[in-house]
Amino acid sequence: MSGLHHNHNHARAAFQHPAQRVAARSLLVLAMAALACLPGCERPSSLPDGVVATFGRMGLAPSQFSYPRAITVDGSGRILVIDKAGRIQRFDTDGNYLSEWVMPETADGKPVGLAVHPDGRIFVADTHYHRVSIFDPDGQAIGSFGHQGTGDGEFLLPTDVAFDALGFIYVSEYQGNDRITKWSPDLEFVGVIGADPIHGLRLSRPAGIEIDDEQTLWVADACNHRVVRFSLDGEVLTTFGGFGRERGKLRYPYDIAVTPEGTILVCEYEGNRLQWFSKDGQSLRVWGEPGRRVGALHSPWGAASGTDGRVYIADSENYRVQVIKL
Amino acid sequence: MSLFTALPVDFEQPQWLWLLALVPLLVIASRRSLAGLDPARRVAALVVRSTVVILAALCLARMRHVERNDDLTVLFLMDRSYSVQEKQTAQEDFIRQVTAEMPPDDRVGLIDFARNAYLQQLPMSGYYVPPGRLPIMPNTDRTDVASALRLAMAMFPHDATKRIVLMSDGNDNMGDVLTEARRARTYGIPIDVVPLWYQHRNEVYFDRLIAPTHADPGEQLPLRMVIHSYERVTGTIAVYHNDRLVDLPESSSRVALNPGKNTFFIKLPAGESGAQTFRAVFSPDSDTMDAVSMNNTASAFTFVTGQSRVLVVSGNSEHDRVFVDALRSENVPVDHVSATSLGAFGLLQMINYSSIILSNVPAATFTQKQQEELTIYVRDMGSGLVMLGGDQSFGAGGWIGSPVEEIMPVTFEIKHKRVIPRGALVLIMHSCEIPRGDFWGKEMAKRAVDTISSRDYIGVLAYKFSPGGNTWEVPLGLNTNKSAVKAAIDKMRIGDMPDFDSTMRMAYRELTAGRGRDAAQKHVIILSDGDAQQPSPKLLKDYAANKISVSTIAIGWGAHVMQGTLRNIAKATGGRFYAARNPKQLPQIFVKESTVVRRPLIIDEPFQPQILHTFSDLLGGVDASSEKFPLLGGMVLTSPKTSANVMIPIIRATDDGEDPVLAHWQYGLGKTVAFTSGYWPIWGDVWTQWGKYAKFWSQLIRWTMRQETPANFDTYTKIEGSRGRIVIDALDKDASYLNNLNLQAKVIGPDNKPITLTFTQHGPGNYQAEFDVETAGQYLSSIQIEDQDRYLGTIRTGLSVPFSPEYRDLVPNEPLLRQVADVTGGNFLEADATTGDVFRHDLPPVEARRPAWEWVLAWLLLPAFLLDVAVRRLASWLALSVAVEVVVLVVLLFGLDFRYGWGVLGAVLLAELVGWTIRFKYIGSVFEFMTHGVGALAHTGDRSTASLQQLKGTRDRVREEMDEDRSEKLHRLDTEQTPTVPRKPKQHYDAGEPTSTKPTGDLGAALGGAVKDAAPPKPKPRTTGDQDDADTTSRLLRAKKRRQE
Repeated sequence: MSGLHHNHNHARAAFQHPAQRVAARSLLVLAMAALACLPGCERPSSLPDGVVATFGRMGLAPSQFSYPRAITVDGSGRILVIDKAGRIQRFDTDGNYLSEWVMPETADGKPVGLAVHPDGRIFVADTHYHRVSIFDPDGQAIGSFGHQGTGDGEFLLPTDVAFDALGFIYVSEYQGNDRITKWSPDLEFVGVIGADPIHGLRLSRPAGIEIDDEQTLWVADACNHRVVRFSLDGEVLTTFGGFGRERGKLRYPYDIAVTPEGTILVCEYEGNRLQWFSKDGQSLRVWGEPGRRVGALHSPWGAASGTDGRVYIADSENYRVQVIKL
Repeated sequence: MSLFTALPVDFEQPQWLWLLALVPLLVIASRRSLAGLDPARRVAALVVRSTVVILAALCLARMRHVERNDDLTVLFLMDRSYSVQEKQTAQEDFIRQVTAEMPPDDRVGLIDFARNAYLQQLPMSGYYVPPGRLPIMPNTDRTDVASALRLAMAMFPHDATKRIVLMSDGNDNMGDVLTEARRARTYGIPIDVVPLWYQHRNEVYFDRLIAPTHADPGEQLPLRMVIHSYERVTGTIAVYHNDRLVDLPESSSRVALNPGKNTFFIKLPAGESGAQTFRAVFSPDSDTMDAVSMNNTASAFTFVTGQSRVLVVSGNSEHDRVFVDALRSENVPVDHVSATSLGAFGLLQMINYSSIILSNVPAATFTQKQQEELTIYVRDMGSGLVMLGGDQSFGAGGWIGSPVEEIMPVTFEIKHKRVIPRGALVLIMHSCEIPRGDFWGKEMAKRAVDTISSRDYIGVLAYKFSPGGNTWEVPLGLNTNKSAVKAAIDKMRIGDMPDFDSTMRMAYRELTAGRGRDAAQKHVIILSDGDAQQPSPKLLKDYAANKISVSTIAIGWGAHVMQGTLRNIAKATGGRFYAARNPKQLPQIFVKESTVVRRPLIIDEPFQPQILHTFSDLLGGVDASSEKFPLLGGMVLTSPKTSANVMIPIIRATDDGEDPVLAHWQYGLGKTVAFTSGYWPIWGDVWTQWGKYAKFWSQLIRWTMRQETPANFDTYTKIEGSRGRIVIDALDKDASYLNNLNLQAKVIGPDNKPITLTFTQHGPGNYQAEFDVETAGQYLSSIQIEDQDRYLGTIRTGLSVPFSPEYRDLVPNEPLLRQVADVTGGNFLEADATTGDVFRHDLPPVEARRPAWEWVLAWLLLPAFLLDVAVRRLASWLALSVAVEVVVLVVLLFGLDFRYGWGVLGAVLLAELVGWTIRFKYIGSVFEFMTHGVGALAHTGDRSTASLQQLKGTRDRVREEMDEDRSEKLHRLDTEQTPTVPRKPKQHYDAGEPTSTKPTGDLGAALGGAVKDAAPPKPKPRTTGDQDDADTTSRLLRAKKRRQE
């Protein structure tokens, strides 16, 4: 074994040998790999299952939220978010900030729902002003309808807006009114849906509404912890849910959306989760848990379904929007 | 700290760097001490040891990391005081204009200010405040530039150059701007100034109303009015005496003002004794003649000497009629008012009375400020306060925790272990959309905690983060630890509850089946902006059936607050509904509501009052030893304070203990009395029939009345800028000056904080004192005058600041603004300034120094020291490489913080790289061996056959030779010793490489061990057998070599 001893000249000579050059090159690659890794030593950026991205944090600057409360996706896939500062911010599909505007009046309270009309106009349930405010695609206020009251054509705390294929407008409201009113495309009052008890219970805070491709109206009946499906002439087609933590049950469903696959997506405010249902009320999937980390939710007020299978969640108490794709 | 950013360094104690000179010496010395190591080791050891010395020198010299940065942070200070209220848009536009194209690495922040300064945007990479969306600025009646500067200096990031841009009219009327500006200069922060120009062409302000400070009753008081006008203006002067309009003749009320100061005189009768207030208001004939209307009023007051009086405030005036008549029958001068008709009742009105009696008056009658004034009235003004019992008094009247409880001789809590029915109060807090709604909600909840007794239950319910949803933020429990309950309230985060039903149901369960089930009084207060879903009618019925009342408070200052649901809840459960449009209303509402649960403090049964302290001053007129007090029909429970000053002449004695009926003490300069019964028609009917009723009470009230002699010295007050001045000319009856008097005085300003005045003698008999009058309102002073410990009398005086200087200084103060810019080296900017004017990088870069030597010590010197030992002591290169690897890995992971994500992999790879570089010396040879073996095997096929044949032949030949030799050796074995043959050095097995003929060391040396270079091995004696083997081998080798050749 004494032959293993060699001096520096030997070592230099050793590099002349092909095998040693291979070894030396391996070391070089190792070194370069090490150097490449070192500058990138940031905290883990990997996202939990299903989360594609998150954006927003607490604040008033662009891409920051003061408690985001309502979210929707327009025809081009852009995302609109209203927060508790009364700001409406618009983002592209990936959550990049595009523009924003502010509600004309916010002293008494801020909106909790909005929807984008197929023609691009934005209808905001201006909750605490008991009206629906309409904006053009640039954010310019172009009108409003409704005023405080309990009669026909009047609102108490409107929560959400939806449109059917004929251009009729549906507005949900609560605190006594607890109904959905139907308005013609030229903003004339047409009628009321859901004013009578359903299985012994009147609607109680219908917080989110949506109309599916079959032209039926889905209602998140928040304080009854259930989902109600109406035909557009007001006939009750289905109800499901009930208070509970288990699958198929709901805790304060605050928003509802119909996915491109035709499943019903329900956002649970107190349940801190999303739940997908088939149209006959079978719970298909549950996502989310209470918490602060990415992948968890804290009192989410709204969820919207994008055209590419993504779901955008207004994760209100976490002051962010989470984008998931399952 | 990253190694790479640590490169720019300096030294705190550079003299230690001389130690670096030791490095060459160390190299020379090491040549000998490390001579035993092989050359590679020697070099490594030398390098490591030199590194240790260098690092030690750096540590001793206290190396610091220096960061230099010339990125600029600009903080804009926006003046939003009244005088420039129309300039807000212009200021916002200015910021937007100069920040539109600001350099990307610079930052901009915004502070707005009037009386207080608020941070509206932290320093950020752009200006993000939407136009016109700044929150409403409170207290615009003052400008405090200094506080804005202080906040700005605190808000700058440390690692950037700094500039303040002050936008103001310069009319500072609170702080000391120049002092703060000089402080900014010492921090190297220039202040650029953007002056806000404006000009009020038509402006009138009431400069002052001057009334004599003292007068006698019935005297005609001369009032002098000074009005300043910029233009010719006509208008009317109205004068109010004690808030009643004085009917002036038109010749006095119609005036025409000329530019400059205009002075008018009127005379009014002085009126009754006490403080007389005068207020004068100027109204121009046309609003266009006057830009600012807030400065059109002035006020003054005069103290009219005379008999001091007593005020009886009654919760129910009818109940106290007999009581008041009794006092009057004993010649006590009494004014009697109902609590509901008190009106404006401030310290100035209180001071007109020597003593005030509160008869069954609930705490909610008085604002917090009025309650504080009552304590000042007693403590600092030396007056008396008497509280009489009833169903709305003491603890049952919401006085627990109030400032008044502080000055009374009894606490309104029950301290001994008497079993009394408990009350239970549940607060339901709902997140409010309105600005600061949650803040006010918490403040009021804390107030409720203070108000109810420690023997009651309190619980706070709010909607919060799941999985709880509705959560007991303060679980229903005894209110014994009020500070802990208040701390829990402070911490709570009030969520937005979806419905009242689920929350109210939780409260209901706890009040009927939980801890609150044994409470005699159960009450719930809901504070909400009303937008939660309404509760079910059944739940409301259950509340009503269980006598749980729910009061609801709609909090919101807008017109659209949802009241319907809250109103229904209150109505259905027997509670009350309040629409609080102003947060200032909330304390009284909460106090009033909280007292609902305090009814158990009332004892509604007759008892015999008994005498405890017979020596009390208050029993002087009653022969306490022989006479029994009449029966009393009830009382409010209290506990005596544990102070030697407290006297308790009358008690109610029961098996549970003694309850104070009458207690009194001296508090500060004044006196207070608690009489826990009263409520005359219901509890004290027998008392009012008692023959000594009038005498007892007149004696008690007289004991409390303020004792003072007016000192008849000439007194003047005046306002000079933001300072008030009191001047006293002290002459005795012979008109000779009184010198070296001792004047003790306090002044009470609008904030109710007593300030001690210091009088200095300015001339013969002339004494003066100054104090700040920064806030508009009344300033009252009570001055006690002594001449060598002899009491001469008391002077009451004061002055009135009618409006803030904010409404007086209506011309921009350009000299001050220029001074601020000059002092700090800033620029005077105009409204058309550009980005370059503001974001100019002409400031020296900021150098931030942080100690780096600790890091060097921990992560370089210590590892290097370990390596130094390892290089010299670890025999094996393999072991050394592992040691180095571990050290590198530890330094990378913990010293340089490569602990996250790819960083860990990078650190491991780099450590491995270093380790393998060292091992390469060792492994390289293995490679050589292995590659040789492989090469040799590759050529085996080519030469195998021929070689085998030759080898076979050779073997046979050798075998023959050996056989011959063996027989020869056996023959000679016994007689001869075979001489030892020196071993030939072993040779390399390397194929294709020139083999070294030089002798190498042993195995230890081959592995790089720290053994001394050994001399060539000495020949050793060998046994014959060994020699045979050696011969055989050597012969075989020789044969092989020959074949190869």
